[in-house]
Amino acid sequence: MSKQNESNDNELIIARKELAFQIKKKDKLAAKLIIAHNELAFQKDEKGKRAAELVIANEELTFQKEDKRKRAAELGIAYIELAFQVDEKEKRAAELGIANTEKGKRAAELVIAIEELTFQKEEKRKCVTELGIANIELAFQDEEKEKRAVELGIANKVLALQDEEKRKRAEELIIVNKELIFQNEEKEKRAAELGIANKELAFQNQEKEKRAAELIIANKELIFQNDEKEKRAAELGVANKELNFQNQEKEKRAAELIIANKELVFQNEEKEKRAAELIIANKELVFQNEEKEKRAAELSIANKELLAFTYISSHDMQEPLRKIQTFVSLILENENRNLSDNGKYNFQRIRLAAERMQQLIVDLLAFSRINTADHKFEKTKLRLIVEEIKTELKDAIQEKHATIESSKLCSANIIPFQFRQLLYNLISNALKFSNPAVSSKIMIKSRIVKGSGLNNENLSREKNYCHIIIKDNGIGFESHFSERIFGVFQKLHHKDVYGGTGIGLAIVKKIIENHKGIITATSELNKGATFDIYIPDDGIMLMPIDRVSKLSGKQKKNIDQIYPSIIKNK
Amino acid sequence: MSLKQLNILLADDDVDDSLFFKAALEGSSLSANFTTVSDGERLMHLLTNGTEELPDVLFLDLNMPRKNGFECLSEIKQNSKLKLLPVIVFSTSLEQEVVNQLYQNGAQYFIRKPPHFTQFKKIILQVLTIIAQGNLTQPVRENFVITLQSN
Repeated sequence: MSKQNESNDNELIIARKELAFQIKKKDKLAAKLIIAHNELAFQKDEKGKRAAELVIANEELTFQKEDKRKRAAELGIAYIELAFQVDEKEKRAAELGIANTEKGKRAAELVIAIEELTFQKEEKRKCVTELGIANIELAFQDEEKEKRAVELGIANKVLALQDEEKRKRAEELIIVNKELIFQNEEKEKRAAELGIANKELAFQNQEKEKRAAELIIANKELIFQNDEKEKRAAELGVANKELNFQNQEKEKRAAELIIANKELVFQNEEKEKRAAELIIANKELVFQNEEKEKRAAELSIANKELLAFTYISSHDMQEPLRKIQTFVSLILENENRNLSDNGKYNFQRIRLAAERMQQLIVDLLAFSRINTADHKFEKTKLRLIVEEIKTELKDAIQEKHATIESSKLCSANIIPFQFRQLLYNLISNALKFSNPAVSSKIMIKSRIVKGSGLNNENLSREKNYCHIIIKDNGIGFESHFSERIFGVFQKLHHKDVYGGTGIGLAIVKKIIENHKGIITATSELNKGATFDIYIPDDGIMLMPIDRVSKLSGKQKKNIDQIYPSIIKNK
Repeated sequence: MSLKQLNILLADDDVDDSLFFKAALEGSSLSANFTTVSDGERLMHLLTNGTEELPDVLFLDLNMPRKNGFECLSEIKQNSKLKLLPVIVFSTSLEQEVVNQLYQNGAQYFIRKPPHFTQFKKIILQVLTIIAQGNLTQPVRENFVITLQSN
């Protein structure tokens, strides 16, 4: 690479020298050219001067020609004069003839005239001489002119030659310039190559310096590494001593471990004994669970049977009752004329009693249903339930001219068929206990509210509740009865005044309990009644099966409660 | 008011209920041919044997032996010859699920057997008037159950 640089350098030096030489040659040529130009200029001046002289000579010549013409003209005139003179002479001769006498005069005159003429001829001769001189002069001038012309021709030829020389020089100069341009291009190429070569060289140098620096760093690193290695060796010695100590410790531990293993083996045997006992216990438990599930299944079947039994029996019981009522009314209608007042009254009492029995059966059926059926919670739109109840009770609603306001109802997590029963009971109560003086207005609304927002110590502050309000404008009740009315078979009025078995609100309360909720009744006499229901809104799950036994216990208690009172009432 | 002679068929196993029905008819001013069958099998046999002309209306009790009212209703409504026969279902109970099912199956009306004879008469008369007027299309669900206000 450096050799190439050297050769490049050499070429460049040679090129530069060549260029310098060329420049000098050019300068010389330029100087020659300048001299040639100066010579040319001088020649041009000379030519100019010659031309000017020629012009002057031509003017002189022209003037001389004019003069000659003038002289010629004068000569012409002189000739004409002469002719005239001759005429005159002739005249004179004539006259002479005439006047020979006068000859003497005229001779004298003639002599004068001849003298005159001679003078004239002299004059003419002068003129001719002058003219000859002038012509010589003119010829001389012409010769001079020709000389000048020849000189001018020569000068022009020289000038032409000079021009040729100048053109040749100019051509040479163009060639030299082209050569020079080419040389310059070569020089620039060389310079560019040299520049690249230099950059390469500089880059190489940088790389070399980087390597050198890296090498220094590597050396330092190596020295450092060696130091580290010596440190490690020292540490290793220390570690080995430590290791020996550890080995001794380990042997001690191994001995201890053997003892521990013996202990562990003993423990494992104990554990296996426990595991075997546990397996037996689990099998026992599985068996117990199966037994429990069998019981639960049996219980579920028993519940279904009970429900079916209750349903069928209530139906079968209602049939005879209905017939009693229908026959009684048939008799009353057909045998009206044949019966005494007492007889009619007795039959009516029979009918009433049968109606009561029927109502009791219906209510009992409803009550039993609440306990024995599946407790399946569903998120239900309360509005839909209320609409169904409105359809069922449409006759009673019409009769009481009642309006039921039920637009603000939300959804709640409830057992649908039980809740239907609940709302049916509450709404039919509201209709039953309406104020005859005013048209009945029943308002039902619900909303979700947090427990902390309600003023009830039985409600959890953190939970959400669905708060349902059923409010009527009926006859109401005294506020100290607000809990008693939920009792089974509790009525506040005589059965002849307001019908009913007194079980409706007990059913309502039972249903609320099934929903883990709370119901409160608020009222004042003749100021309507308000029932507030709070149901937890947290998605109660299906009742676990093992609670069913508890339930049947409660149910048993309820039936005990019912049956004695039925017996009592009788 | 006299309407044309109606052929009324009652399917009810209960002797007393048949008696009430007959008494109610006699008490009203309708003239009608009244026939009773006492179980479902006999009812279907009567309707399908082809010898007798079909009744104008069938009052159908639900609880009958051998074949109950539900089954009869389904069979009638699936029989191309019988499906136009208006069927009035009679029952003592008024459970919404049952009533809904009957409505779905195409019964014309549902009557709950009322305990008062006077009501009984009124309801029978009301229904027969509707039938006699030729109003045989199934009403909307709200009007399916015919009840009178309790006395």
